[in-house]
Amino acid sequence: MDSEVIVNERVEVATIYRTGVDVSRICYPARMKYQGQVIEFTELGMRHPTAQGKRMVHVFEMSNGVNDYRLEFDAEALTWTLVAIREGKYERP
Amino acid sequence: MNDLNREAPQIMHIDLNSAFATTEQQAHPSLRGRPMGVTNRISKHCCVIAASYEAKALGIKVGMRLDEARVICPEFIILETDPPKYHYVYQKLCAMMKDYSPHVVMKSIDEGVMDFHGTLGTVHHRSLVDIGMEIKQRMRDEVGSWMRVNVGIGPNRFLAKQAAGLHKPDGLDVIDHTNLLDVYKSLQLTDLTGIASHFEARLNAANIFTPLQFLQATPDTLKRIVFHSVIGEDWHQRLRGFEVDDVTTKLGNVGRQFVLDRASADDAFLLPRFHYLCETTAMKLRYNNVDARGILVWASFQTGESWAQRKMFRSTFYTNHEVYRRALYLLNQRPKHMIIRAFGLTCYMLSPSNRSQMSMLDSVNREEWLTTAMDEINERYGTFVIHSADTVEAKNIVKQKIPFGSTRYFELLLKQG
Repeated sequence: MDSEVIVNERVEVATIYRTGVDVSRICYPARMKYQGQVIEFTELGMRHPTAQGKRMVHVFEMSNGVNDYRLEFDAEALTWTLVAIREGKYERP
Repeated sequence: MNDLNREAPQIMHIDLNSAFATTEQQAHPSLRGRPMGVTNRISKHCCVIAASYEAKALGIKVGMRLDEARVICPEFIILETDPPKYHYVYQKLCAMMKDYSPHVVMKSIDEGVMDFHGTLGTVHHRSLVDIGMEIKQRMRDEVGSWMRVNVGIGPNRFLAKQAAGLHKPDGLDVIDHTNLLDVYKSLQLTDLTGIASHFEARLNAANIFTPLQFLQATPDTLKRIVFHSVIGEDWHQRLRGFEVDDVTTKLGNVGRQFVLDRASADDAFLLPRFHYLCETTAMKLRYNNVDARGILVWASFQTGESWAQRKMFRSTFYTNHEVYRRALYLLNQRPKHMIIRAFGLTCYMLSPSNRSQMSMLDSVNREEWLTTAMDEINERYGTFVIHSADTVEAKNIVKQKIPFGSTRYFELLLKQG
C-alpha cells in the first residue's frame, strides 16, 4: 500500500557534480545523513526546478534501491531539506 | 481510392501517454511496474486522472473513482498531482521538439505537434522516422529511462495523432496513403480521434458503422445527414489526410468552478470559497492581459436543479475586487434556501486590456494601483502570499486542477504551487 512519510528536516548531503552529461544529471546527491544513519543513493529518479516566488528550489527525487526520498536544495539559502520518504518494498530475488 | 492525400507525411504527433503516472514512476523508482495513479486531491471518492499502464492492464481506467479502483486492485497506489514535475517534463519535451522544427504547437501538457513543411529538405536531410526514434531516445536520456513516448507521423494532424495511438505505450507509426485503408480496417468508429458515442450514434443513423464506410461517405451525406454543418465536409477531408485542423483558437471566456467540500446554503461557508474563485478568475484575466464586460454566475443544488444568472456591464473590469463585487451581486440573487453542491463563475465579452489608460476617477485608479502592487508582491514571493483575508480558509481547500485541455494556465498554476 501507499506509504509516504513527510519529514521536512534539514539534512547533511554529499553531492556529486559531473561534466559531459545532460544538464538534468549534472549534479545530484550521492549520500545523506539522516537520524544518524548514512543513506547511499543508487538512483536519481528526477531532478526538477521549482520557483517559490523568486527563489529557486531544486527538487531531487532519489532512491536507495528500496525507498524513495524527496530532497530539496534551496539555491538561495544553500540548504538541503529531506521533504518526504516513500517506503518501498524488498523484492524477492 | 484516388482522392487521398498522396503527399509525403510531414506532420509528427508526440504523445506522452499516461504522462503524469509515467512521470511519477520515473521520479519514484519504488512505483515502477506497480499499479498506481494520480489524482488532484486525495479522498475516498477522488477521481483517477492518470493511471499507469500496469493499472490500466488490470482494468483501472482514467475517470474511475479511487474506491472503485481499489475494488479492482487493493494495492492500487494513488498520488496527488505535482505540477512542477510535469512542467519540467513538458518543458523538456517542448525544447526537444523545437530542436527539429520551428512549427511546434503543444496541444496539451502531454502532447504536441511538429509541422515539417518547408524544413525537411533544407534542415534535416533525414526521415521523420529517424527523428521520431531520436526523440524517443532523448526522452529516455534527458528525462529518465522510464519515460515512454508515442510518435505518430502522417500527412495531417488527425492521421498523425491516430498513428501515435496505434501502438501504445512506446510506438512509432506512420499513416499515409499507402496504408490508410488497412489502418481504417483495423479500427472501430470510436477509435477515431474526435468520434465518441454521440457522433457514433449519428453516423450509425446514416448507415455508417466502420471507419471505411465513414471514408467512403460523400461530403454531402456527412454535411447534410450526419453532422448538419460544415463539420461534415471537414471530416471528409480529414479522413483523407488533408489538413483542416491547423487553426488557432481565440480566448472566449475565463472562469472557475468548485464542487463544495460539503453541500451548504450558508453564506458564511459559501462566500469565502466564492471569493477565492473570483480572485483566481481575476488573476486569470490579468494573466491573459484581457478585461471582461460580462459575468455569469451559476450554482447546482443538492436537489439536482441548477440556477444561473448573467449580466453585461457598461464598464470593463479585471481587478479582484471588481470581479468579486459584480459576481457577488449576481450570486445574491440565487434562491437562498437551496443547498448548493457546486458553483462557479465565468467572465465573458473579453477585450484586450486598456490598463495603461488612467481613469478620471481617483478611486478607480487607487484600486488599480492596489491590484498592481499586490500582483508585484505575489510575483516576487509566490502567488497568494498576499490576498483577501476571508479567502484564507478557502485557499487551502479550493485547489487549482491540472488543466488538461490546454497549457494556457500552466505557468500561472505553477506560481500558485
